[in-house]
Amino acid sequence: MACRLGTIAGKELPEAMAGVTSFPTTARVERPVRATAESPVIRAVLISVVFVFFTLFLLLPLFVVFKEAFSQGVAAFLAVFRDDATASAVRLTLLTAVIAVPLNTIFGIAAAWNLTRFHFPGRSFLITLIDLPLWVSPVIGGLIYVLVFGANGWFGAWFIDHDLPIIFNTPAIVLVTMFVTFPFVARGLIPLMQAQGTKEEEAALSLGANGWQIFWRVTLPKIKWGLIYGVILCNARAMGEFGAVSVVSGHIRGKTNTMPLHIEVLYNDYQYSAAFAVASVLCILALLTLIIKTYAEWRAEQQLAEAARHTDLSHKP
Amino acid sequence: MSIEVRDITKKFSRYPALDRVSLKVETGELIALLGPSGSGKTTLLRTIAGLEFPDDNEGRVLFDGNDVTALSAYKRHAGFVFQHYALFSHMDVFENVAFGLRVIRGGKRPPKAAIEKRVLELLDAVQLSGYGKRLPGQLSGGQRQRVAFARALAVEPQVLLLDEPFGALDAKVRKELRRWLREFRDRVKLTTIFVTHDQDEAFEVADRVVLIDKGKIQQIGSPAEVKKAPANVFVAEFLDLEWPGGSSAPQSSPALPLSA
Repeated sequence: MACRLGTIAGKELPEAMAGVTSFPTTARVERPVRATAESPVIRAVLISVVFVFFTLFLLLPLFVVFKEAFSQGVAAFLAVFRDDATASAVRLTLLTAVIAVPLNTIFGIAAAWNLTRFHFPGRSFLITLIDLPLWVSPVIGGLIYVLVFGANGWFGAWFIDHDLPIIFNTPAIVLVTMFVTFPFVARGLIPLMQAQGTKEEEAALSLGANGWQIFWRVTLPKIKWGLIYGVILCNARAMGEFGAVSVVSGHIRGKTNTMPLHIEVLYNDYQYSAAFAVASVLCILALLTLIIKTYAEWRAEQQLAEAARHTDLSHKP
Repeated sequence: MSIEVRDITKKFSRYPALDRVSLKVETGELIALLGPSGSGKTTLLRTIAGLEFPDDNEGRVLFDGNDVTALSAYKRHAGFVFQHYALFSHMDVFENVAFGLRVIRGGKRPPKAAIEKRVLELLDAVQLSGYGKRLPGQLSGGQRQRVAFARALAVEPQVLLLDEPFGALDAKVRKELRRWLREFRDRVKLTTIFVTHDQDEAFEVADRVVLIDKGKIQQIGSPAEVKKAPANVFVAEFLDLEWPGGSSAPQSSPALPLSA
C-alpha cells in the first residue's frame, strides 16, 4: 500500500497520506485508499446523520428546556425559586454535593494512591470493584441502603432509636450519592498515576521530603488536571442523580426532595414552567461542567502525554 | 561518612535479588558496583538509600557505625541520582535544585535568600547558570543529568548514590561526565557509590570495584587487583579476561552483556 502510494502520487509517504482526501479522484483509483476510509458521498451522509441526530436528540431538548422555563416570562422564572419547596430542593442538592464530592475526592485519591503505589493480593479485583457503582443500576444502589439502614434493615432500628433516622432523611441521600459517584475521581486518577510512576516521589523522598510534603509538592501538582476532571464529573453526577436518591428519599416535599426529584414532583403537578425552570438550572450546571470538563480533560491529556514523553526521552541515549 | 551493609537479603517474588551481601565502604571512597543487569546491584544501592528494605531481621545498614536499617529514605540524607534522573517535570530547574532545601522541617530551613544563593551556586557549579527557568522537558539528557546532580548535592549529603548515572547518555557526554565526577570526587571527599554495567566506566572512575552477580558479591578490589587476579569464572568472563582454568572464558563471546 505504502509503495503504491509512493509511486502513483510520486510523493513521499507522509505527503501522500496527507493528500489522501483528494487522491482517489485524481489518480483513477476506485477503491478507498485506506481500508478505513469511505467515499466522499458516504462520508457526507454519515456526517449529516450525526448532525441530525445531534440536533434532534441533544440540542433540541436542551432548547425546549430553556424555552419552557421562560415561557411565562423572566419574572415567573425567578418566582419559581422563591417557592419554599423549590428553595429547599436547591439547598438539599447543594448540601449533598458539598458533603459527597469532597469526601469522594479524598477517598478517590486514597484509592488511586494505594492501587497504583502498592502491589498487594486482590489489587486488580479492587480496581474492578471501584467500578461497581457504574455497572449496577442506581436503583439497586438505593435499595442496598434501605436494606441496611431502613427501619427493618440491619442497623436501621438502632439509628432510629438514637433519633438519627438515616433512610428518608438527608444522611441516606448523601450516602447513596456517594455510592453512585464514588468511581469518578479514582477512575480518572488511576491511569494517570500509573503512567507517571513513582520515580519522582522516590526522588523527593531521597531529598528529605516526608509523605505529606511529597503529596502536596510532587504528586498533587502532577495529577491536578486529572483530579479536577474527576471532581467535576463527580459533582455533576452528585447534583443530577435521580434513581438512587429517589429510592431512599421518601419524597417529603420541602424536606427530602433534591432538585431532580423536585422537578418530577412539579412536572406531575402540571407545573410545567416551574419544572422546566428548575431543570434549566441543572442544564446550566451541566453545560458549565462540560466546559470545565473539556478543558480539564485537555490538560489531563497533556499531563499524561508529558509523563509518557518524559519517560520516553530519558530512555533514549 | 563510611557505609556498611551486613548480611542483606532481599527477594523479589521468588528469586533473590540480594543474597546475604556484606560490604564496607570507607569515608571518601568512590566505589563502583559492577555487574550484568538483574545482578542485584541497583537493589543494593536502593537498600543503602532506604528506598528498599532488607527482608529479614538479620540485614543491617550502618552509616558511620550507626544503624539506619529502620530509617526511611527521607531521614537518611543520602544524595541519590536516579538512572533516568527523575527530575520533577512540573518544576523548573531552579525549583528542582531548591526542592531539598525547601522541604527541610523543624525550623532548620535556610531563609529564602540563602536558598536562592545556594541554588545559583550549584547551577553555576554544574555549568547551568541561566537555565533556572527551563523545565526539565526542555533540556538535553546531559543537562538533565547535571540538574539531577545539583539537586542531590543541594542538601549537602554525606554520601552520594548514583544509579547508572551515565547509562542513558551518548558516549561523548558520558566521557565528559565521567571526568567531571572524578574531579568532583577529588575536590570534595564525598563517599560515593555508583552502579554501572560498563566495566570501562567502573575501572576509570572507581577506587574499588565490587563485582556482583546473581545477588552475590563475586569480588571486591581495586581495578588493578581485579584485572590482575579475577576471583572466579564469572569475573573473568564478565571482564573478558583469561581464566587460568582454561575451559571457560571464550575470547570473543558475543553473549557478554558488557555493551548492553
